[in-house]
Amino acid sequence: MTTELDRPVGQSDSGRTSAPDAATALADISAILRTVLEEYGLDDSEITLDTSFHDDLELESIDLVTLSAQLREFYGERVNFAAFIADRGLEEIIALTVGDLVGYVVDSLAVAEVG
Amino acid sequence: MATMRVNGIDVHVQRLGHDSGSARPVVVLIHGLLIDSLASYYFSLAPRLAEEGLDVVMYDLRGHGKTSRPPTGYRMEDFVDDLDGLLDALVIDRPVHLVGNSFGGAVAYAMAAARPERVASVIAIEAEPPARAWARNMYEGLVGEQGGLVVQQVTQWLRENPGERNARPFRAAGRVLDETALAQEIPLSALLDEDLSAIRCPVFAIFGGASKLSAQTGMLEASLPHCRTVVLPDLGHSVLVEATAQTYALVRDWLLLGQEAHALGEAR
Repeated sequence: MTTELDRPVGQSDSGRTSAPDAATALADISAILRTVLEEYGLDDSEITLDTSFHDDLELESIDLVTLSAQLREFYGERVNFAAFIADRGLEEIIALTVGDLVGYVVDSLAVAEVG
Repeated sequence: MATMRVNGIDVHVQRLGHDSGSARPVVVLIHGLLIDSLASYYFSLAPRLAEEGLDVVMYDLRGHGKTSRPPTGYRMEDFVDDLDGLLDALVIDRPVHLVGNSFGGAVAYAMAAARPERVASVIAIEAEPPARAWARNMYEGLVGEQGGLVVQQVTQWLRENPGERNARPFRAAGRVLDETALAQEIPLSALLDEDLSAIRCPVFAIFGGASKLSAQTGMLEASLPHCRTVVLPDLGHSVLVEATAQTYALVRDWLLLGQEAHALGEAR
């Protein structure tokens, strides 16, 4: 299950990642989500910051595993979606939106840059 | 890496905390039957154990998650062959710790009995060794006189929630039951001898106090040479879901403090 996505826009040859802005992250994450959703034939749905993983995309936990693995492949170890989910309660997970994930990705890569 | 050809099927594998440069202790997490997949661990115990420096392997059992769903081949010995083949495919030749939840715990016990040289310890969460009592419970749940209690629950839920969003796990369970011999074959598995003498590695068994399986603590401690049991009061069968943090702490301490904690537990 490999993706054919390009590397993140901000990643240089040295492997050092400069933090993407929210718009870039949304575009990258939307592309990743489309590959995850492909097998369900939902790949034409519009994905915005308000799109809910549960209600709109109907992702269940095993799909989130695929998403997590692809995020890690795309952004590197600093985007640890498994830990992000593990720290949240069930209600928070059900309410999760694409915007929440975009925020998390932008924040964790920005922190990585500072550190 | 997400899918590996093992024992004639495609097995979905996820690994967290693996570092090819260092030989970290390997722990394999085995999920439960039907409405379950490796996701139960991926978003609970796995990321935390990986952060503690463990090499965490998760896979979807045959018929489950994103692993193949062959029409037949669902006896315990098939599940053991899958795990054995998976360790080969991952080139893991050191003994591994097995964590199994519910049916996954039975797989862990069966693996420890069949391939003792590959298993460092078993952590069984709300699980029993695959001996006669287990086979009886599996039969009642999967076959029974009215088609099995578990099977009834799945089909009833699907009937009462037509078109329900996020019904995929239930629909997947329905497909396994409709399209495979899983329900018929599991109770026909080869069983361990009643004295459990085949299991020689250290065992840590965690139960929910409100679960009927918790009555097995005495039997386990009497039968197994190195066994520690913990009963979490007021919890039922879903210990891993209802008390994730508590379960994590117990599993972590067993894995990281190892035999010292085990000896301490015995001394109490």
